[in-house]
Amino acid sequence: MGEEEAYEFVTSTLEKERIEPYTREESEVVHSVQQCINCGICLSHCPVVAAVGIYRFSGPRSIAVELSRSPPEFWATGDTIYLCTGCGTCMEVCPKNVNIPEIVNMMRSRILRFRPDLVPKGLHVVRETILEHNLAFVPLEDVEDKTESRDMRLEHYGLPLIETPEEAKSEVLYYPGCQAEERSQEVREAAKIILDRFEVGFTMLEDMCCCGLPSRLMGDKDTAEKLASRLKQRIDELDIKKIVTTCAGCTSNIGDASFAYDWNVPVLHLVEFLTDEVGTDKLAKAFTKPRGKEKVKVTVHDPCHLIRHTSRQLMDKALLLLDLIPDVKVEVSTAADSCCGGGGLVAYHSKDVSKAVVKENLEAIRLLEAQRVVTPCPLCTAQLEDNLFQSGSSIEVDDLTVFIAQRLSNKG
Amino acid sequence: MTKSDVVVVGGGSTGTAVARDCALRGLKTLMLERDDIASATVGTCAGMISSGLKYMDEPHIVDMCSQEVVHLNRIARHIVMKNPILTPMLELSDLSSGGSFAEEYSKRAAKREVPPVLFLTPEDSLKIEPKLNPNIIASMYFEEFFIDPFRLCMLQAIDAQRAGALIRTYCEVIDITVKDDSVDEVLFYDRVKGDIERVKTKTVVNAGGPWAPGIAKMAESNVEIRPNKGAHVILDRRVVNVGIIAKAVDGRMIYLFPHENTVLLGTTALDTWEDPDTLVASHDEIEYLLQSMEWVVPSIREARIIRTMAGVRPLVANWKVPEDKVTRGYETIDHEFEDVRGLFSFTGGKLVMCRHMAETVTDLVCEKLGVKHKCTTHEIPLPGMEADVDILAFSADYGISQHAVERLRARRGTEMTRVLELTRENPDWRTTICACEPVLEAEIRYSIREEFPQNLNDLRRRVRLGTGPCQGTFCTYKASAILMEELDLSGEGFKVDILDFLAERWKGKRQSFRREQLVQEEVTQGMYTCVANLDQSEIEYDPKPWEGSI
Ligand SMILES: Cc1cc2nc3c(=O)[nH]c(=O)nc-3n(C[C@H](O)[C@H](O)[C@H](O)COP(=O)(O)OP(=O)(O)OC[C@H]3O[C@@H](n4cnc5c(N)ncnc54)[C@H](O)[C@@H]3O)c2cc1C
Ligand code: SF4
Ligand code: SF4
Repeated sequence: MGEEEAYEFVTSTLEKERIEPYTREESEVVHSVQQCINCGICLSHCPVVAAVGIYRFSGPRSIAVELSRSPPEFWATGDTIYLCTGCGTCMEVCPKNVNIPEIVNMMRSRILRFRPDLVPKGLHVVRETILEHNLAFVPLEDVEDKTESRDMRLEHYGLPLIETPEEAKSEVLYYPGCQAEERSQEVREAAKIILDRFEVGFTMLEDMCCCGLPSRLMGDKDTAEKLASRLKQRIDELDIKKIVTTCAGCTSNIGDASFAYDWNVPVLHLVEFLTDEVGTDKLAKAFTKPRGKEKVKVTVHDPCHLIRHTSRQLMDKALLLLDLIPDVKVEVSTAADSCCGGGGLVAYHSKDVSKAVVKENLEAIRLLEAQRVVTPCPLCTAQLEDNLFQSGSSIEVDDLTVFIAQRLSNKG
Repeated sequence: MTKSDVVVVGGGSTGTAVARDCALRGLKTLMLERDDIASATVGTCAGMISSGLKYMDEPHIVDMCSQEVVHLNRIARHIVMKNPILTPMLELSDLSSGGSFAEEYSKRAAKREVPPVLFLTPEDSLKIEPKLNPNIIASMYFEEFFIDPFRLCMLQAIDAQRAGALIRTYCEVIDITVKDDSVDEVLFYDRVKGDIERVKTKTVVNAGGPWAPGIAKMAESNVEIRPNKGAHVILDRRVVNVGIIAKAVDGRMIYLFPHENTVLLGTTALDTWEDPDTLVASHDEIEYLLQSMEWVVPSIREARIIRTMAGVRPLVANWKVPEDKVTRGYETIDHEFEDVRGLFSFTGGKLVMCRHMAETVTDLVCEKLGVKHKCTTHEIPLPGMEADVDILAFSADYGISQHAVERLRARRGTEMTRVLELTRENPDWRTTICACEPVLEAEIRYSIREEFPQNLNDLRRRVRLGTGPCQGTFCTYKASAILMEELDLSGEGFKVDILDFLAERWKGKRQSFRREQLVQEEVTQGMYTCVANLDQSEIEYDPKPWEGSI
């Protein structure tokens, strides 16, 4: 047998034995998991374990010491591994910094490859959508429908329409992400308003494509990489020096990609961009009391992808921003940093789990006097909004970007 | 006094195989094991069945082993796994020595349904195993089968029992009397009951592994072996994608084999005069293995070592040749030549040939007894082999995670349903006792009731309790409580058992402690001294020889 044929033979055997070689990068994740000392601290912090119990989801410790030890057996973890929301709480409390969220993605990637039949159907649907549209949601087909939906939203939130900048070379790229592009268009519009208000020269991509986080979370490494390199290509073409985002997931995911592949392009959530680059002085002057709006009591939700996958400082900055807005009072929820249940694509296949997880947040929010919840992520916003509404609560949820845009004075 | 056709001394891979063969041929069989099933040499081996690598100059042995693999795949497929293996080469000379191996191996490949030896380019090798040293010039690829040695012995013992054999653990043979130049009685000490018993028998099979010479001596007979120490280092999980074979500092071959959910780094081969009962891996052995493997897997020292294990190979007594020139075959000694009729001993042998060894000796025993039954051990499946198991269906049916069910299957095949059935009446028994494997309470209870363990160490061999990264930190006290309840033991016994188990873990851990495992040990010590106060309790416990000093 020639060498080429030999290699083919060997890879087919590995395939049969359900072994996909760990790459060097993956070996680092494995190394991180090898640090687990089985202490169980993570178990009492994992929001999924708390919500559905250990029989349904055996939790982060079991992922570390049991489920992730032998790749040929990964297929048999399908009933458990898809229930992790990737919130990163375990990693944050872990004395050994064990990287559970990433080993989960790796394990999912093996299941997708060797036992796609065991991947929850809901994820296949998302995967098909991404493969077809490069977006996590099926885009509205009719441009007019999309415009109409945008305008309705602008009206609802009392926001003006700002013209979208042409795609052109620029220092700053504003990257709205799939949710703000297709669903919560008000977030994208609000970001444009804010950037425009502070006279930031920026550009946007003509055809938005997904940052790759959903693909990464479902274990579709190839697509995640393809999407990342596609984004990188645009960044190069447009000579971008900085990416500004409004979605927590995009922030952490593009940040990770930028770091992993040495893009040398920092990724800033709009919150951070405002406090660090625009500056609090300018910000303080720009805020007004929104017309017809009374003093408002809000509580804040901390998106996992910001506090745990990026930096907790981001929420300090978000609070700083809120503090600068007149007549906003922040009430602290005891579950502010608890996962909203919208992560890890869990809601796409196990809605009951996702709902059980968000309950913790809902209960804590209900105990407060707050009228609104604000959070710097359109995905968390949607998850909290839906669930508060369904539970019959009158508390409303705003994406922080929208909340800010509503409270900016006019230019000049 | 009881009577037996044959008494088998030793319950390792050899002894259990002999007991099974004898029982299946209808002999009244008694197997006596001084400790537990698979508690000695066989429990420290790599579980590789048919390694051609070490004995390519003995083609008849390679033939025999290849055939045994075919048999084992027929009778015990549920506990057999296959490992793809790379042998990376760093020098041209490696390539030429690999060639002759390739030829011998490939001759018998088709029979075992594996490919002939293949040669891969460095680039392709690195794609398969990115952890390899990028300076390799080529690699050789082949496939080998592995078996769970503990379960093999256990299943052989249980099958023997089902065929009518009496399997007695914790029964140490203390004398073999000879009358009229024939074996007559076997005296043994029941370590649990504290009684001495005797059994009348016409034949005795000495399957004592490294203790065979001592057992022969009881009957005024002689067995000589060349005791050879071998050690393994065990890593916490599969850190390599495939098995790796490398040339050691002294030119021997060593390996890194994925084994269940761990990786074994082994092995050493040293002539030894140490007591096989208290043997531990030495610092030199650990470093020998690490440095040797480091040439082909440079990051090997970053991996987490959870423990070591060491055993003594009872090699055939070929002297004044290097260890690797000693035959890897076995010899069956009929002591009739020294006027002891009915006594048979083994020297040499391997796990892979245990069934073959058993067949040979059982033929001799049958001849002596005038029994004409043919051997069927290569045809009759071991318990659990009946069919494939639908993991998903069982998982859904019993409300137990798929992975837990899959691990259960890997140990028990179809017999796992008996464990699952227990959870119908006792849903609480779905509780995970050992988180690393995992092991459910139901399996522990089942094992205690059906597989005659006497203590936690015995449970470990049956269900892999405490063999994961935390090395018994969290399962020991839980499993002990169950054992006490099932066996109705005292509180005192409870503590001693915990100490015994932890001491046994310590035996393997102490030598290789570093980094993560040291941190882990802090947790373990915290649990059992700071919380459980075991270091302060007034119980009668004699520290083991390996405790206290290095
Ligand atoms: C490090 C190492 C790696 C190995 N790797 C492999 C491999 O990959 N593949 C392979 O095929 N082989 C391998 N081997 C060889 C193989 O493990 C042994 O040859 C084989 O398992 C020996 O089994 P046994 O039953 O003869 O001996 P043992 O397992 O030692 O069994 C003998 C039993 O006799 C009992 N006994 C002793 N005295 C008495 C008494 N007075 N009364 C009652 N009972 C008594 C002991 O308690 C013991 O349980 C390896 C060996 C070592 C050391
Ligand atoms: S990432 Fe979150 S959901 Fe997943 S195991 Fe960790 S704590 Fe639990
Ligand atoms: S907190 Fe970290 S070290 Fe402790 S069990 Fe969880 S993953 Fe392991």
